[in-house]
Amino acid sequence: MARRRGNGFCGSAEHLVNRRAFLGGTALATAGLASDMTSLDVLRTPALANQLRRRGKRVILLWLAGGASQLETWDPKPNRPTGGPFGAISTNLEGVRISELLPKMAQRLENTAIIRSLNTKDGSHGSAARMMHLGRRDEPNVTYPDLGAVCARELGQADSKVPDYVSFYTATEGRGNALGQSGFLGARYMPMFLTTNTKPENLSRLETISDLDHRERMDLRALISQRFAAGRDSNTLDSHNEAYARVRGLMASEQLFDVSSEPQWIRDRYGPSLFGRQALVARRLVEAGTPFVKVSRAWWDSHGQNFETHLELVSELDHVMSTLLDDLKSRGMLEDTLVITLAEFGRTPNINPSLGRDHFARAWSASLTGCGVKGGTVYGETDADGQHVKDGEIGAGELFATIYQALGIDHQHEYFVGARPLPLTNPGIEPVSEVLA
Amino acid sequence: MRNDCIGRGCRALCLALMTLPILQGSGQEVVQAAELLAPETPIAEVVDHYLGAKLTIAGVAPVAVAAPATLVRRITLDLVGRPPTVHESREFITSTSQQRRAELLDRLFADPGFVRHQANEFDHMLMVGGESIRDYLLQAFGDDRHWDEIFRELLLGRDDDTQQTGALRFVKTRVSDLDKLTNQTSVVFFGVNISCAKCHDHPHVSEWTQDHFYGMKSFFNRTFDNGGLLGEREYGLVKFKTNFGESRQASLMFLNGTVLEEPASKDPTGEEQKAEKAKLEELKKKKQPPPAPAFSRRAQLVEVALQAKENNYFARAIVNKIWHRFFGVGLVVPIDQMHPENPPSHPQLIAWLARDLVSHKYDLKRLMRGLQMSQAYARSSRHGGEQRPDARLFATASLRPLSRYQYATTLRMGSMNPDRFVVSDKIEELQKQIEAQENAARGFAGQIEQPYDGFQIGVTEALLMNNAEQVEKEFLSDSGDSLVGKLKTIEDSRELVEVAVWTVLNRPPDEQEIKSFEAYLARRVDRKLDSCRQLVWALLTSSECRFNY
Repeated sequence: MARRRGNGFCGSAEHLVNRRAFLGGTALATAGLASDMTSLDVLRTPALANQLRRRGKRVILLWLAGGASQLETWDPKPNRPTGGPFGAISTNLEGVRISELLPKMAQRLENTAIIRSLNTKDGSHGSAARMMHLGRRDEPNVTYPDLGAVCARELGQADSKVPDYVSFYTATEGRGNALGQSGFLGARYMPMFLTTNTKPENLSRLETISDLDHRERMDLRALISQRFAAGRDSNTLDSHNEAYARVRGLMASEQLFDVSSEPQWIRDRYGPSLFGRQALVARRLVEAGTPFVKVSRAWWDSHGQNFETHLELVSELDHVMSTLLDDLKSRGMLEDTLVITLAEFGRTPNINPSLGRDHFARAWSASLTGCGVKGGTVYGETDADGQHVKDGEIGAGELFATIYQALGIDHQHEYFVGARPLPLTNPGIEPVSEVLA
Repeated sequence: MRNDCIGRGCRALCLALMTLPILQGSGQEVVQAAELLAPETPIAEVVDHYLGAKLTIAGVAPVAVAAPATLVRRITLDLVGRPPTVHESREFITSTSQQRRAELLDRLFADPGFVRHQANEFDHMLMVGGESIRDYLLQAFGDDRHWDEIFRELLLGRDDDTQQTGALRFVKTRVSDLDKLTNQTSVVFFGVNISCAKCHDHPHVSEWTQDHFYGMKSFFNRTFDNGGLLGEREYGLVKFKTNFGESRQASLMFLNGTVLEEPASKDPTGEEQKAEKAKLEELKKKKQPPPAPAFSRRAQLVEVALQAKENNYFARAIVNKIWHRFFGVGLVVPIDQMHPENPPSHPQLIAWLARDLVSHKYDLKRLMRGLQMSQAYARSSRHGGEQRPDARLFATASLRPLSRYQYATTLRMGSMNPDRFVVSDKIEELQKQIEAQENAARGFAGQIEQPYDGFQIGVTEALLMNNAEQVEKEFLSDSGDSLVGKLKTIEDSRELVEVAVWTVLNRPPDEQEIKSFEAYLARRVDRKLDSCRQLVWALLTSSECRFNY
C-alpha cells in the first residue's frame, strides 16, 4: 500500500488511475474504477481518514476460546432444568441478573451492553471461530480480513511505531487454532502473534550486535535500496522498504510488552494469571496507540465438568475484565476503547451425562463495553430454558456491524478487489442500534 | 435491473453495474486467424511485433535492453529459481557470441534445476498453499510431459497411482467442497473465476449465468471421496435455485456454452443404493478406489476443454499465466478474469500464442523460450522519464518479488564463499552442490511469504532479517565456507567490496558504491569482521536482492 507520497496512489503498479487522474475526475478515472481495481479504498481521501483517526478508537477483544457458556455468564437460567448449580445475582442495572460467577462485573455494567440473542448456526470450532473472527464466511475466491485486520487498517496509522494488531493466544489453544486472517488487505495487516512469551518474535536486537551497528547497517541497507529504487516504480518495492523503516520503531515498542515498568499495585490488581498479565499488556498497547489487541483465554470447551471449568474460568474472567475496565476508566480511556467478550459459540442448555455442556450456536451471548456502546443495556432474550432466541435474534454480521458502528467505522464501507465491491458487512445487514450510544 | 435479487452482495453489485460506463470491446473478441501473423513466425518476433505496434500507437518509446549482468540474473532466476554464480555471470557478460542469450537459455532448460523450479512454481499455482504435489510435478516435468497431459493427470489421475497420492490429489484435496473444486479448477486451468455466478447471473459478464457455474459444477458433482480414495458415480444431476427462486437443473456445460451429451442419468432405487453403499464400504476396508464409471463426467471436462477451437480457455489461460510469470503483468488482468468483458491488452498476441501452443501440443518449454528470446522480455526495469509508462504496454520490465524459494536460495547462495562455486569440468558436481543449497534453503523459505498480485511485504520479514538468530547463523557466519569468512581475509578494501557485491548482487559495483562501501569499512577498520558482516547483511536485505528486476 503506497503511503502519502507525492505522486503515487495506493494500489498496484498496474492500477489504471493515479491519484491525480482520479481527483481530476477524468473518464479514464471512471474506467479505472470499473475494470482493474486492485487498489483498495479509492473513495476515501486521506484527509477524511485522518479526521476519523484523530480520536483514536481502540479494541480489546477478550476471546473465550472453545466456547464459553452463556448460562454461566451473561444469560443464566436459575431454577430451570438447564440452569445448572449456579444462581443468578442482581446487578447495578435494575431488573438485570447475570451469573453469580460474575460478582464484580455485576457491579460494573453501566458501560456494558449484553447481547443475549446470537444465533450463528455453526457449532464447529474451526469454521465457527473463523466466522466469528470475520463476521461472515469466506467465499471460494475471497478471503476476508478479520476484525483485527480491519481495525488495524481503519484505526491504525500508516507509519505507526507501535504494532497495529496484536494477538495473544494460549498454548492450550495452540498456534494452529489461533486465528489471524488479513485476507485481501494483505500481509501488512496480519497480527503479531504472541503466546506465553508475551513478547513478539524478533523484536529484540541480538546480543551479538550493538545498537549502533544495528542502526548503521539499516542505514547502509536503505542507501543501497534507494539507489536501486531510482527510476523504478512498484508498490511491492515500497512495502519492502516501509517494512524495514518500521523495524526500529517496533523494536522500541518492545518495552510495551514488559509489565515490569508498571507499578506493583497495578500488576497485583490484574493478578498473577497469564490472562491477567496479557490483559495488562493489552492495556499498555492500546494506550500507546495499538488499535486492536486480542487476548485469548482457553479452553472453555467444557463437554465434561462444565461447572468446575466455568467456576474457574468465569471467576478469572470476572476479575480480569473488571480490573481492565476499571483501569481503562481511571485513565480516561474507556470511552475510546471497545472491550468485547466473544467466542465461537455458546454451550447447550442441556447438560450431558458428563455434567458438561456441548457446542451451541442457536442462542448465545456476547458483550460490548465502552467506546460507542450504550452502557447498561441488555439486548435480546432467550426462552425460559435458553433453548431458542425469543427476541432480537442476530447473527455474526449484525454483531460486526454493531462493532464497526461503535468504533465510528461505516459498516457499509466498501473495499474493492478487482472489480468487485466488498462491503465490510454484507448488504442488508444492520447494526443493533439499541446498543449503540 | 434485478431489484429483488437475494444473492449476497447483490444490491451493491447492481448499483455498481448501473454506474459502470460502457466497457470497451463488449463480447468476446474473436480474432480471425487471417489477421494473425503467420504460424511459422518465431515466437520472439511475434511478441515484439505486437507489443511494438501498441507502443507506437501509444507514442511510448520502450527502454533499452537491460545490462547483461541484469539479464543473466533475470533469466537464471526465471528458469532455475536461483541467481547465477559469479562464474556464470562473468561468462555471460564477457561472451562475444551473438547467440549468447539463446545459449544461456539452452543450458538452463537442460539444467536439472529447471525441473525443480517448475515444480515449485506449479505446485504453488495448482495447490495455492494447500497440500503439496511437488513429487508428482518433479516427475511430470522431469519426463517433459506437456501441459495437456499434466492437466489430464491432475483431473483423472495416473494408472500407476492406484492409491491416488500423486496428481489426483488436485481433486482429492478439494472434493469435500465441490463449489471450491469447481471454482479453483476454473481459475487454475481456465483463468476464470466464476464464483460470482453461483448466487446470481454474473454481474459483469452478460454471457455467464448461474447455468454456467452449475454447468461447470456438473463435471464434478458425481465425484466423491470413499475412505480417502476418489470415486465417481454413474448418476446424479445438479439442481439449483436461481435467485428468483426458480428451480433449475444444470446441464453438463463448459464455460464456452458447449453442452455435452450424456447418457440419461437414473437415480438408484433404495435397493440399489443399499447395495452400492455396501460395496463402497467393502472397498473402503480393502483400501481400493471405487471402479471408474462407464461415463465419467469429469473425464468429459478434460475432453471438452482440449477440444475447444476458437477461444480456447485452456490454452489462453496457461499462456496468460506463463506471460504473467515472466513479465509480471498478464496480457489479461487480473489473471483469473479471462472473461469476454475483460479484454486482453494485446488480443492478437494472446490469440497467436494460444494458437501456437495448441499446434505445438502444449509444449510449455517452447513457449517460455520464445518469450524469453524477445526484446520485450529483456528490457530494463528502469524507466527514463518522470513516471513509469503503463505497465500493460511492457515498455519496461516489471519488478517481480522473488518467491519464497527463490529468495531463500538467493540468500543462501549470496552468503556463501564464491570460491565454492568455481566451475571445472565437473558440471554435475556444481549442479549437485546447487541442489544441496536449494534443499537447505527450503527450511528458511517457510518463513518467507509467497508473493501474490499486489504483494505487501510485511514487517515480520523485516524483523526476521533484523533480529533472528537463524539469520545470523545461516547467512552471517565467518566460517571458511561463507562469504563473510572470505571477506575478512581480503586486505584490499576495493577487492573486498567487489567480491561482496558480485557474490550477493551478481554484478560489479560502480565507482560510487565502491567509494561508499570503502568509507563504511574504513570507519570500522578496527572491527573488520563486524563491518564485513554488516556489509553482507545490508546487501542481502536490500531491495535489489529481494526482487527480480
